[in-house]
Amino acid sequence: MVQRLLVKDSLLRNLKSGLTAILLTSLVLAGCSSGSKDNTPDAKPNEAGKGTSTAIGSSYPLNTTESITSWEILNMNAVTFYSNLAETPFGKALADKTGVQVEYIHPNDQQTAEQFNLMIASDELPDVIEYDWTGRSAGSYPGGPEKAIQDGVILELNELIDQYAPNLKKKLEADPTLDQMVKTDSGKYYVFPMIRNPSGLVFRGPMIRQDWLDELGLPVPTTIEEWEKTLIAFRDEKGAKAPLSVTYTGGNFEIRDAFIGAYRTSNSFYVDDEGKVKYGPIDPQYKDFLALFRKWFAEGLFDKDFALTDTKALDNKILTGQTGATVHLLSGGMGKWMDAMKGQDPKFKLVGAPYPTLLKDEVPFIGQRDFKYNPGPSKAITTAAKNPELIVRWLDYAYSDEGAMLYNFGIEGESYAMENGAPVYTDLIKNNEKYSLQQMVSQYSKPNGPYEADERRNWNTFPEQDEAVKVWAKTDAEKHTLPGFLTPTAEESKELGKILTEVSNYKEEMFVKFIVGKEPMESYDKYVEQIKKLGIERAVEIYQSALDRYNSR
Amino acid sequence: MAKIPPPTRTSIPSKPSNSAGLNPRNWGLLKDISKNRFLYIMLIPVLLYFAVFHYFPMYGASIAFKEFSPRLGIIGSPWAGWEHFESFFNGIYFWRVVKNTLLISFYELLFGFPAPIILALLLNEVRKAAFKRTVQTITYMPHFISLVVVCGIIKEFTMSDGLINDILAFLGWERVSLLLESEYFRTLFVTSGIWQNIGWGTIIYLAALAGIDQEQYEAAKIDGANRWRQMLNVTLPGIMPTIIILFILEIGRLMNVGSEKVILLYNPSIYDTADVISSYVYRVGLQEFNYSFSSAVGLFNSAINFTLVIGSNWLSRRMNKTSLW
Repeated sequence: MVQRLLVKDSLLRNLKSGLTAILLTSLVLAGCSSGSKDNTPDAKPNEAGKGTSTAIGSSYPLNTTESITSWEILNMNAVTFYSNLAETPFGKALADKTGVQVEYIHPNDQQTAEQFNLMIASDELPDVIEYDWTGRSAGSYPGGPEKAIQDGVILELNELIDQYAPNLKKKLEADPTLDQMVKTDSGKYYVFPMIRNPSGLVFRGPMIRQDWLDELGLPVPTTIEEWEKTLIAFRDEKGAKAPLSVTYTGGNFEIRDAFIGAYRTSNSFYVDDEGKVKYGPIDPQYKDFLALFRKWFAEGLFDKDFALTDTKALDNKILTGQTGATVHLLSGGMGKWMDAMKGQDPKFKLVGAPYPTLLKDEVPFIGQRDFKYNPGPSKAITTAAKNPELIVRWLDYAYSDEGAMLYNFGIEGESYAMENGAPVYTDLIKNNEKYSLQQMVSQYSKPNGPYEADERRNWNTFPEQDEAVKVWAKTDAEKHTLPGFLTPTAEESKELGKILTEVSNYKEEMFVKFIVGKEPMESYDKYVEQIKKLGIERAVEIYQSALDRYNSR
Repeated sequence: MAKIPPPTRTSIPSKPSNSAGLNPRNWGLLKDISKNRFLYIMLIPVLLYFAVFHYFPMYGASIAFKEFSPRLGIIGSPWAGWEHFESFFNGIYFWRVVKNTLLISFYELLFGFPAPIILALLLNEVRKAAFKRTVQTITYMPHFISLVVVCGIIKEFTMSDGLINDILAFLGWERVSLLLESEYFRTLFVTSGIWQNIGWGTIIYLAALAGIDQEQYEAAKIDGANRWRQMLNVTLPGIMPTIIILFILEIGRLMNVGSEKVILLYNPSIYDTADVISSYVYRVGLQEFNYSFSSAVGLFNSAINFTLVIGSNWLSRRMNKTSLW
């Protein structure tokens, strides 16, 4: 009897585990949310700091004993040294200068999205949250900033910025493009933005082994034809098993728009010369791109295992000389690999190659170019904030001249010194024996966060990196990239979500099949037909209207 | 089957009512509680565990019928009816994921389930204890390797320049990236599963084998049974109840193909054989924060599992009188 009971229990457990595993998220959500849910809507914030006098003052350090809580990622490099931003030299200096004590809550780097969701669901909000609120990508707040404000999660900042953030206000007024990006269609501000510096906008592109090229007497390839010749040489003369390889992670082909741009289309939505939104993967030209990679794959010019290549595998291929060309990041790729090979193979050298085109001297149709506004490391103030004025003043410090120096370069005399009126990193940062510049910088300044990145700041370790940025920047990407801060309405978002999930799944699957040769090129028309059936035209329509609204912001 | 006579209630005094206002039917239970109170106290944590961690959360399943928004919570989210189920059933991948789930499970059942039984029977015939122990240790080792590592090994071995391809090339075959070819996925999945679990699965059968009365073997020997006959007529029937119970449990997991392993191994070029319900749920639902949709699919999955267990239990009871309940 007891045994039967036990068996029964374990059966139940097995049954349940099926259900509970799927509902795991809801389980935790359920536990946390049931009680606290009902009292939120009326817990409206103190409207724009009402009731708090201006006793804090407007000059730093502020006159306060209150502390605030901030949820934000701790920079990966800083984790090497400290477990909390408050303990870093930067955190201490910031507290000193602003007079505000901050309790930082750091989510686990790997599970930021999950932890963000749990936090929102449990309604235990800190005062400030540094996160992507745009709703433009998986992981950011679903429905976007308007929805977040309407849901009562974060505050609309228009009045607060008007009253208490003179430094940010100045920047927004001086830069209409930035202003257009950081507000919603209805003109609401929702974050203190991270503003990239102009040289920080381009950070990804094709790169190639310069030492191999020199050995073979080849120039850096610019056209598709030259690329093919180069890759053949890599295969035949250098014995590269995967002459061209890129990462493929989470259903994402990281070649992005390189090579595809040569055919005047894109791997996703883009804006054509007439300002109309288009979906690249169903363009007739896209077929030519697929045919090219199909050919390269068959001939062994393109990695035979490309769909299995994650970052680690790519590292391995590059460092062992199986791959001579890739499309990857400036410092997370180029810098990292050159650094790793410094001791082993002094000849090893990567250079940035221009985005390939079909004809010589053509300007690449599209490339990688990000926006001035970087929503990820931008901070919103939640409805839980008791003293929004204090928080706004604290955040606004980063946009002041003094704050900008701290956020960008750290502490004068310690991490940087002024030479001829320009900040220069000290030897402590630049020439540290044990740690890289990025690691050192992460302790003394904030690599990412809501402030304006300084033009004079440069974290590149190799001159080839500076060169690569210049090469990669020469594209028409700005004209053809769909602005990242479109805000479809809540209704549209829902519809869009459904369509895009199905479309991108289908597209990705067919993409790989076309390249490895499992699907005949003749079925391209059928594939386009199917994507249309899944509703791509409606998605394009939604993006078009969102773009129109964006342009008229 | 003979009809069981209705229980007589001679032990229960048929008082119409009593001062405490208790239902007289509860007397038996109350008496039992007072008699075995420690047993009942020991039961409380177990009941609590199931109530808190398995039954209470089940109300969360209702988000399958809702337009779930984390901020509004489960109760506050608006109802959506059967919308999520419909969009799953009408999606272009419905049949494919159901088919893949069933096929992979079926192959696992067909090849994976008997594997540890066969190994256990073989080990049972081995008379050298040291050899037996070594084999056992070696075969159950892989069970302790983390799944991520296992999948890393599989990926590494099946790459176009990996170990398996080296062997194939040596034998004069052409190199293929095995994980890019849909026709090999199921084989890879099932065989690697056997490699991983065979030793571990054997343990329970060996325990059952140890419980078989040695006298039965003696008797069989006297009747002239050789080793093969002994195995068929003594050993197998001896562990049959264990096999059946584990089989029913296995059926209960039929639709729960290890999603982690699929997700770690697959890629878009082999979706057509590798994509199962749970990996689809993960990709579409959790990666893109469609909680409601994924729990609708999960609920559908559990419903099938539930039916399968009930069905196989019924079948087993009908056919060989062994069952879970």
